[in-house]
Amino acid sequence: MAARPFFTSLRRQPVVVGLLVVLLLVLLPAFGLKGIQAIAAEPVPIRVLMPAPLADAVAGPVARFNASGSGVAVQVIRGPLDTETISDLAISSLLLGEAPFDLLLVDVSWLAKYVAAGWFLPLERWFGPEILAAMEPGARLGNGLGDHLWRMPLTGDTGLLYWRSDLMDRPPRDTAELVAISRDLQRRGRVRWGYLWQGRQYEGLSCVMVEMLQAFGARWWDDATATTVLDSPGAVAAASWLDALLRDGVSPKAVANFAENDALQSFAAGEAAFLRNWPYAWREIEKGEGPVTGKVGVTTMVGAPGEQGGGTLGTWGLSLIKGSPHPEEAVAVIRWLTGPVVQRQLALEQGYAPTWSRLYDDPELQRRAPLLAVQRQALQHPQLRPLTPAYAQLSDLLARQVNGMLTGQDGPGQTMATAQRQSQQVLRSVAGTPDRAPRIP
Amino acid sequence: MRTRTSSLLLMLPALVLLATVFLYPLLRYGWLSLQASSVLTGLLPVPNGGANWLRLLDDARFWTDAGQTLRFALCSVALELVGGLALALLLHRPLRGRGPLRALTLLPWALPTTVMALGWRWILNDPHGPINGAIRSLGGTSYGFLSTPATTWFFVVLADVWKTMPFVALLLLAGLQTIPADLEEALRLEGASRVQILRRLTLPLLLPYLSLALLFRLAQSLGVFDLIQVLSGGGPAGTTESLALYAYLNAMRFLDFGYASTVMLATFLLLVVALGGGWLLLRRGGIARATERPA
Repeated sequence: MAARPFFTSLRRQPVVVGLLVVLLLVLLPAFGLKGIQAIAAEPVPIRVLMPAPLADAVAGPVARFNASGSGVAVQVIRGPLDTETISDLAISSLLLGEAPFDLLLVDVSWLAKYVAAGWFLPLERWFGPEILAAMEPGARLGNGLGDHLWRMPLTGDTGLLYWRSDLMDRPPRDTAELVAISRDLQRRGRVRWGYLWQGRQYEGLSCVMVEMLQAFGARWWDDATATTVLDSPGAVAAASWLDALLRDGVSPKAVANFAENDALQSFAAGEAAFLRNWPYAWREIEKGEGPVTGKVGVTTMVGAPGEQGGGTLGTWGLSLIKGSPHPEEAVAVIRWLTGPVVQRQLALEQGYAPTWSRLYDDPELQRRAPLLAVQRQALQHPQLRPLTPAYAQLSDLLARQVNGMLTGQDGPGQTMATAQRQSQQVLRSVAGTPDRAPRIP
Repeated sequence: MRTRTSSLLLMLPALVLLATVFLYPLLRYGWLSLQASSVLTGLLPVPNGGANWLRLLDDARFWTDAGQTLRFALCSVALELVGGLALALLLHRPLRGRGPLRALTLLPWALPTTVMALGWRWILNDPHGPINGAIRSLGGTSYGFLSTPATTWFFVVLADVWKTMPFVALLLLAGLQTIPADLEEALRLEGASRVQILRRLTLPLLLPYLSLALLFRLAQSLGVFDLIQVLSGGGPAGTTESLALYAYLNAMRFLDFGYASTVMLATFLLLVVALGGGWLLLRRGGIARATERPA
């Protein structure tokens, strides 16, 4: 145990000694280099965590920004592709207190939870109301909460309705027309299915429900009372409409297991007249030589006759992490990354909807991004998912109940009554009382 | 009197240890399960009058996960017992290179679960995994093994069986070695067949070890977390989610610590009931009596 025998035994272990020397040789320059960097006033590093596809999409602009000599070096951390997985990743590091990133690309459905957890710094000091006023109305939603601005939007995507221009002259104006056209085409054998959408038990079904609730004049969440209103007659009508699509064969029973890509692939194979999807689907349909390439139109989500339809808002934006050592530099990165130059490129190369109004008037963009007009129209009446920190739980139970209805467990009335009852229970359990409005700092 | 005091004194360290690492957390979960403690309360506990427990009773996800966890545990433990027994019988026979073979068998058990689960995830990857590579080289199209509920469930069970079967085998091998060889020889001389020897001699004498393996593995697999978290993340669409994973998600994804405690405590209670039930069944079958006999 004494030191001496240990050292004498070391002498007989050339391998161990060799390894130690190698370790020292590796570690010393690493630490030494850091010290030298600090002295030479290297650019301030600003780290941004993003899902991989968006990280790749901004890679070009980021490289140009870093080469511009602004004194800031943006390091994009490529996170996982799946929205839920990247949120889990971000939360685990934020819970530990010291996040290894300064900026986080935030999905609109996470915002309330992160804000309530106190992980973000408010941005209104840097981005006043005049800045948001230059954006499309829908793009302004889902960024502010309480009296503060927590997020600067990078994209303005909404749910859209895809229709087959080879099968009809114009898109349906409401839900009734959508069903009528579908059944007529199906009866005449022109197409196998009418309408494809996302019915799997996951967030995508919640997005479909948000659109259907709006379509039937109902709501999921009442902001004034901070509670759910899922058992209203309109909400039951919305659920009934989806249920009837499957029972009447307008949508295949398989829709109950469809996510975005399943629905897209079936539609792209020419199996249906209509598709509900996000803007990315357009490029997927148009890039190939598929049976419907060049035969697809896009429009905003329809409502029931006499009601205003609206697509679910699915936007990403940048938030500033509290505790970032360089908030001023990080804000400069937000300003630039969410600015028109990057958004223009994202619209051109990836088809993401811009948030700045003036980009929609850009003639070159209009020419090269054919969805732009529809995307702008959709941003006039988009639908926000409930802005509550308990959204993930509420969404999970609603998707579970509605999926149960689609697979024949309960009728629409029972389904929505159960969803409402369970939502109340969740809110009581999460917030103490169901009536207490969530306190957002 | 003196012996009682001294025995109590001797037990004290163990009791203190149990109280700090087991009883205290349990009581703390019990208390927290009666509070709202989430981002909505600023992570401060606010009594909510048993709302967590009412929510639990009506929580479809909890009960679905309870069923899934039980199904996973029963299926994988049954397969492990059968496979483990076969493996133990094989390793008990005088084979050439039995020593290295026994060591090799233990390899999956020695691997950290996370590493093993990552390995399986790569094997099953669509389209880059080796299975899909083989399918494509045979002219087929890649299959999303981990995006189809049935195949995901199958491979989660398979991965668990593959990893823990050696543990069961080792336990049973130890049991096999306590069976005197002359008993088997005597039976053989009487003209008993191999199946008869197995049924009349080996299995009855192995029962204490079998029930030990059963209880160990049941307790472990009802609390399964790491394998599922890494291999499937509970997906697709929650079809492989276990109760332990749900409790974890409530804390780490939903930031709802009150309800996470409720789920955890309820899982513990269900586990006690399941294991107690299993134990009673074993007793009725006379297996418990066999365990009491010195091996």
